[in-house]
Amino acid sequence: MSISTPDAPRRSPKRKRSESEDTGVPPQYDGAEDSAALQYAYDEEMPSELQSPEEQEQEGAVAKKPRLERPRELNYVPHMTLRGHKRGVAAVKYSPDGKWIASCSADATIKVWDATTGALAHTLEGHLAGISTLAWSPDSLVLASGSDDKLIRLWNISTGKCLPSPLVGHHNYVYSLAFSPKGNMIVSGSYDEAVFLWDVRTARVMRSLPAHSDPVSGVDFVRDGTLIASCSSDGLIRIWDTGTGQCLKTLVHEDNAPVTSVRFSPNGKFVLACTLDSCVRLWDYVDGRVVKTYQGHRNEKYSIGTAFGVYAAEQNEVRNGDEDSEEDQWAFAACGSDDGRVLLWDVSSKEVLQEIQGHEGAVLGVDVSGQTQQLVTCGLDRTIRVWKRRPVVSATTNGNGVHVEDAADVPPPPPPPLDDGPSATGTPANGTPAVGTPIASAEES
Amino acid sequence: MNLPLTDPVLLAQDIPDVLTARLRSSGQAVCLRFSHKGDLLASGTAKGTIAIFDLETNGVARKLKGHTTGRTVQSLSWEKSGRYLLSSSIDWKVILWDLQDGSRVRVVSLGAPVYIAELHPQNHLQCVAALYEYRPVLADLTSPTKPIQHALPNLPLRAPHEQDANPEKADAKHFTTVAAFTPSGSHIITGTTKGWLNIISTTTRQTISSLRLCSKPILLIRLSTSGRDLLVNASDTIIRTIKLPDLSNPALSPDQIHLDVEHKFQDVVNRLSWNHVAFSSNADYVMASTLMNHDIYIWERGHGSLVKILEGPKEELGAVEWHPHRPFVAATGVESGRIYLWGITTPQRWSALAPDFSEVEANVDRKKNWSNAVWIWKMKSWMS
Repeated sequence: MSISTPDAPRRSPKRKRSESEDTGVPPQYDGAEDSAALQYAYDEEMPSELQSPEEQEQEGAVAKKPRLERPRELNYVPHMTLRGHKRGVAAVKYSPDGKWIASCSADATIKVWDATTGALAHTLEGHLAGISTLAWSPDSLVLASGSDDKLIRLWNISTGKCLPSPLVGHHNYVYSLAFSPKGNMIVSGSYDEAVFLWDVRTARVMRSLPAHSDPVSGVDFVRDGTLIASCSSDGLIRIWDTGTGQCLKTLVHEDNAPVTSVRFSPNGKFVLACTLDSCVRLWDYVDGRVVKTYQGHRNEKYSIGTAFGVYAAEQNEVRNGDEDSEEDQWAFAACGSDDGRVLLWDVSSKEVLQEIQGHEGAVLGVDVSGQTQQLVTCGLDRTIRVWKRRPVVSATTNGNGVHVEDAADVPPPPPPPLDDGPSATGTPANGTPAVGTPIASAEES
Repeated sequence: MNLPLTDPVLLAQDIPDVLTARLRSSGQAVCLRFSHKGDLLASGTAKGTIAIFDLETNGVARKLKGHTTGRTVQSLSWEKSGRYLLSSSIDWKVILWDLQDGSRVRVVSLGAPVYIAELHPQNHLQCVAALYEYRPVLADLTSPTKPIQHALPNLPLRAPHEQDANPEKADAKHFTTVAAFTPSGSHIITGTTKGWLNIISTTTRQTISSLRLCSKPILLIRLSTSGRDLLVNASDTIIRTIKLPDLSNPALSPDQIHLDVEHKFQDVVNRLSWNHVAFSSNADYVMASTLMNHDIYIWERGHGSLVKILEGPKEELGAVEWHPHRPFVAATGVESGRIYLWGITTPQRWSALAPDFSEVEANVDRKKNWSNAVWIWKMKSWMS
C-alpha cells in the first residue's frame, strides 16, 4: 500500500476511518461494545449546533454541495493566563452569555473575570472554606457556589454581593452543583452522600434524593430540566426524575471505578462520565450502555470536569461563526488530566483532536464558551488559562503527521512537579482530589 | 426528556387520584389558570392580588398587585408563550401583565364590573370581556394610551317565530355573563342570563348563530383545546357538552351551524349544583366542583358516566382547573382560599436502582426464589 500524500483528495468523511492507516493513524479500539451501529448514537435530535453531519450522511447519497472535510486535529493555543487565586483552582465556568469566566478555588474565593479581556471583575468572598463547584444561572446574573463549609451561596454578579440567604442543609462538603434550565432549582451533591434539590426562591430543600452510598461527586440537569444525573465514588451513575424524585435508571460499569463527574450531552440523550480508571465514557442512559469510551488522559486521583464543544473546518473558522452552516460542525469532548494535559476528542470517532500541555499539575476544570468556542482550563497550579483556536500549522504537529497517539504505546509523560504541592492541595476542596481517594496531600500538610 | 424512562403504566393513567400538595399565598385564591406549557399556575385572590406559582417548586414565582385592593379578581387568561397574563376584576379593570418583570403592559377600565375576560389566542393585545349588566366588549389594546372598545351584541339571533310578542320588554334584562374565544380566535362564544349561547364573529362582531339551552343564566362556558367541544355550566344544575362545527373553516356558512347537546351531566339524586367546570387536557373527561360539597366529580365523555370523585380537603371547592397535558388537577378552597393539587402517585421502581435488579411480581414464591428475595431485602434496607 502506497503512502498517500497528505493532500490526497479524500472521499466522503464517512470513509475516513478506513483510510486512517494511510495517514499513519492507528485505529482506536477501546474494547467496549462499539460497532458501526453505535456511531449513529450521538446525533439524533441533537441541537443543530452540535450535529455531526458525518453520521447523517448516507452511503452513496449525493451531497448537494461539496462538504467540508472534518478537521483531524485542532490547534488551541494559549490566549490568556489569569492569575490571582492563592491556591488550586477547582472549577471554572463560562457564563451562559459568554461574557464572564468564573473560577473558584481552595482559597475560599470566587473570581469573576471578563471573558474577552481577562480583567478581574469581582472577587467574591464569604465562604469559610475551599470551594469545589460553581454554577451559573441561565440568565448569567447569579452564580452559585458550593463549599467545604457545607453551604451553597448565591452571588449577584452585577453587585458582587452574596444573596442574603445561603442554602443550608448539607451535612458535609458540597461537591457539585447545577442550575435547572429555568433557574428555579439547584441540584447539589455532597460528601454526605445525598443529592438535594433546592428551591432557589425560598432557599429551602425541596427534595432530598437518597442517592448513593459514597460521596456524590457530580450532578447535572438535562436540558429541559426533567431529569437529574448524579454520580458517586460508589461507581454508580443514577438518573432521577426531577418532578417525582424517583430514581429512573442506574448506570454502572463492570469495573465499578469511582465516577468523579457526570454531565448530560447538549442533546440530552447521553451522559458523559469521568471515572478514576482514566476513562471518559459516553452512556446512552435510556438503554444503559456505554456508547463511546475516550482514553488517552490520566485520571486516577482527581475529580476532573468535562465539557462539550463544537468545531468547524478551518476554511471558515468558528470565530466567523455566523457564516458557518451548521452542517459543517462537529462535536468534541474535553477533559483534563492528572498530569497537566487537556485532551480534546471527537465525540463520534473518539480520535484525540488535540493534546494541550495545559498546566503544571492536574487540570481540574475545563469549560468551552458557547459563543466563541474558546476553551478555559484551571488547575492545581493556581492559574486559569484561556485557549483560542488557531489554524493547524503542519510544522507544529509532530513531524510524521501522527497526531493520535496510542495511549498504550506512548505512556504519558511523568507529571511535572508541582510548584507548591502541599499547600496547593491542603484541604479536600482545594486540590479537589477525587472523592473516596485518600487525600495524600492532606497528610503532608 | 424523561419520557423514555417513565413507566408506561403511569403514562396510561389519565385521571389524578391523590391529593399531592396544598399551595398557599397571601390571600384567598378564587380563580386559577394553568399556563399553556403547564409549568405555571396563576391564581387570583379575593383581595385583588395575583400569585403565579411555579409548579416545579410549588413556590410563588411572582406576585402581581395592580387591581383595587379588596376587589375580587374574576378571571385570568394566559397568552400562549406564557409571558403575558390578562386579569380582570370587579373593579372594572382588565390588566395585561408582562411576567418577565411583573410590569403592567396595559390597564384598561371597561366601565363596569367584569365577569370574565379572555385574551385572543393569537394576539395578546386583543381581548373579550363580559361585563355586569352591560354589553360584552371586544377590546383592542394595541395602542398603549387609547384602547379601542367595540361593544358586542347581547341578544341572540332568533328565528321570526321565536320572537316574543313584546321583544323590547323581554330583552330588557338580557345580558351576557360569559364570553370565550374559539382556539383560532375567529369567533367568540357568549352565554347570557336567559340561557342562550351566541356565536359571534370576531371580524364582523355580529351574532351568526344562537342556541337556547335553558331558561336560567349560563355561568361558565369552556372550549376544549381542539375547539370542537364546548362545556357549559348553567344555573339549572345541568352541565352540558356540545359538539361544535369547525368554526375556523372560512367556508362554513352560518346556516350550517347546528349546535346539539352531546351529554348532560347532573346529580339527579342530590340535585347538586356545580360551582365550576373544566375539560381534561384532551377533553376526554369533564370535571366539576360542587356547591355545598367537598368533592370534585369527573365524568368521561364517551358514555357520559361518572368515573371518579376526587376527595381530600374538608371544604367546598371553587374554581377547578385541569393541567394542559398531565393528569393533574388544581382547585381552590372556598373557605380557606388554599389551592389543592391532585396528581398521580409514582412508586419507586426497584429495578431502576441497579442494572441487574428486575421487578418481581408480588406473589412470587420467595422460598423458590430466595436469591431474588435477598436482593430485594438488601435494596430496601439501602433505601431506608
